Amino acid sequence: MADAVIVVALLLVAVSATAAVAVRDPVRQALVLSVLGVVLAVLFTVLQAPDVALSQLAVGSALTPLLLLLAVHKVKRRGRKEGRHR
Amino acid sequence: MNGRTTLLATAELLGWWAALAVLWLVFISTVDTLELVVGAGAAGLGALAARAARRAVTGR
Amino acid sequence: MNGWILAAAVTLGGGVGATVWGVATGPLRRRAVAQNLCTAFACPALLLLSQGYDRPSYVDLALVLALLGPVGTLVFARLLADELAEDPPSAWGLTYAAAAVGAVVVPALCVAVGPSRAMAKLLVVGVLLIGGNVVASRALSGGFPEVRRG
Repeated sequence: MADAVIVVALLLVAVSATAAVAVRDPVRQALVLSVLGVVLAVLFTVLQAPDVALSQLAVGSALTPLLLLLAVHKVKRRGRKEGRHR
Repeated sequence: MNGRTTLLATAELLGWWAALAVLWLVFISTVDTLELVVGAGAAGLGALAARAARRAVTGR
Repeated sequence: MNGWILAAAVTLGGGVGATVWGVATGPLRRRAVAQNLCTAFACPALLLLSQGYDRPSYVDLALVLALLGPVGTLVFARLLADELAEDPPSAWGLTYAAAAVGAVVVPALCVAVGPSRAMAKLLVVGVLLIGGNVVASRALSGGFPEVRRG
């Protein structure tokens, strides 16, 4: 019955990954990706790979959304500057 | 006032070092000499960083 | 299969499942709150799994999540400050419910582990989890004006 928790973790990963693809706006996608990172880390833990889960937590919970949001920020700012010049 | 400020700085560093060393002792699984040495060193570095951070946050 | 793994499965299915649904649908403020609560539900689940699999090293995962989860929420609170300011999220009921889950799981595990350094580690993780949750929720609802100005 330890398989039950593996099934739950796999379902959560499937649902959040599908949501990450289905959400179109990058800002909202960053939020979904943060949750996906945590859920992936839980999946790795349940599959008895705690060191992989540790690396996944370090990268996926804060770093990936930060990079995404900074990129969106820069693109928006450049677009606004170009709009003003035009 | 250099003597007094040095004393305060040392006291603060010692305080941070003690707190971080206790935290290290709580976190590790087996206590042996190597762990204690590494913990003391890490707590020392952490104390320096914590004092710098506190001074940066309170604007001093 | 023991009770701890079952409790972890329930916390994951119910708590984290609800946050996955909340972060994928709805207005921006609900998504931000759901991202915050994901940490608050996944951390007790990891603690329960550590006890269920009888591997004390898994507590380190919960410790790292309790530290990095609120950092992620603070990133969103800072970079989405403008969009959130017009419609500030306030879900104190849900936040306290998630804190209650942590407050129930940590003492139960402390009792199971028995007085030792491992129990002190669990208590530190619990304090970090609840403290981080409160700080991140306050930041989301726009409660740190000094930070926003700087």
